[in-house]
Amino acid sequence: MKRYAFFPGCLIPARHPAMEFAIRYTLPRLGIEVVDLEGASCCPDPIYFKSKDKLAWLAVAARNLTLAEDLGLDVFTSCSGCTATLAETYHLLQDATLREKVNQRLRRIGREYRGTSRVRHIATLVRDEVGYEAVRQSVVRPLAGLRVAVHYGCHLLKPSRVMQVDDPNDPSVLENLVAALGATPVRHRHWYLCCGKACQSEELPARMMRDLLRTVNEERADLLCMICPTCFGQFDFGQLKVARQFGEDFHTAPIYYFLLLAFAQGVPYEKLGFERQRLKPECLLRLESQAAGSGAVGA
Amino acid sequence: MRVVAVSETTADNEQVVRINFDFRRELAAKVEGHLAGYCYQCGACVGDCPAATYNRDFNPREIMLKILYGLGEELLVKDSLLWQCTNCYNCHERCPQEVKPVEVIISLKNMLADRGIYPEAVQKIIQTFEETGRTAPLNPAVDRQRERFGLPPLRPVPMDEIRALLEPAPADGGTAPPAAERGGPA
Repeated sequence: MKRYAFFPGCLIPARHPAMEFAIRYTLPRLGIEVVDLEGASCCPDPIYFKSKDKLAWLAVAARNLTLAEDLGLDVFTSCSGCTATLAETYHLLQDATLREKVNQRLRRIGREYRGTSRVRHIATLVRDEVGYEAVRQSVVRPLAGLRVAVHYGCHLLKPSRVMQVDDPNDPSVLENLVAALGATPVRHRHWYLCCGKACQSEELPARMMRDLLRTVNEERADLLCMICPTCFGQFDFGQLKVARQFGEDFHTAPIYYFLLLAFAQGVPYEKLGFERQRLKPECLLRLESQAAGSGAVGA
Repeated sequence: MRVVAVSETTADNEQVVRINFDFRRELAAKVEGHLAGYCYQCGACVGDCPAATYNRDFNPREIMLKILYGLGEELLVKDSLLWQCTNCYNCHERCPQEVKPVEVIISLKNMLADRGIYPEAVQKIIQTFEETGRTAPLNPAVDRQRERFGLPPLRPVPMDEIRALLEPAPADGGTAPPAAERGGPA
């Protein structure tokens, strides 16, 4: 088993514990040991607190990274916001002057940032350290016939010089992860648009979301798959709001990739917390009854 | 209107924009705020900007131009246009000069914060973080939900450490609040 420090962030543990459960269930089945980071705080978030004081933001982020450095482990994140903060901190603190400014603050609490722990988003961790084939082999009920639109969100891919994850203009990692589950990934025309959560306007993100969701409908997608809890909120409750506001039929259930993986690895539908979603991925129930019929459920 | 940037010694003329170097110096003291100086106004940041696409008043190139002239004070107002940035990083991706317009915009927001001007929603999230170390606070309902999935209760963040890190050092630049004067060993 390869060991990695798990940085769960704020939203997933507090608002979406089903996502945390899915991560802790699926990764060991892919040969990854999840190691907890004692004493971690908010990353801090790359939108709000960063807007107040970038230097304090770097200092708190660097403290979180030192927790992993103490364990001698690389860190993986499960939220694109945490990925943005921690990966950017790792990148910026390669600059000696800035690192010294941050370390001046860390010395107040007896810590030092050394830059020895890399930061990976969980999706790239699975791609690079597990591989698509191993994901495919962990599946006990393939999601055959399911059309899954992929929402990349922004901070997994960009800025590409910092993230070094995939081609930001034509990425493939999430499509490949979806295909490994036996589903058919589809790319909606406006796949590259942002979820709009960080924009402090009611109106602008609503129109952006409307345009994005129209192209999801064009693809007749069963699900909209994503890897960020913030995007998830926008496409769950937010999707209903936009549908009502514009009087359009938007109803593609969003799903966090690792919940989809847990389902494909055999966890029963009712154990995955879907009842807490506004838009429920009920198309999965069809696959569950098929699998139950052939006796393939291995939870 | 055609605007011309000239040095501060030129006589008053309403057709002329005076460069306010104080503003530029204040911005440059913020992390990556100085990058605006590399902008050559090509506009590559605009085409892929979702905020610009959906709101014609928002234009990252024009924001950079205001900074180059030192006229950024116009942006440091209540309900500033800056908050319409979606933080998507497309401008960072497209900029041939590595200006990172989104980071410069965040540095401008740091200047807004120094002036105590935040949207209420933003202020609330920052306050939650400063008080609890998290943006989504703990409560018994959260732990009950976690228990359903076999997850342990969340533990409080060591706030003494976080608070010590938030205290600015006098040498950090920008207009630090007076509390900085009695800050930690900087």
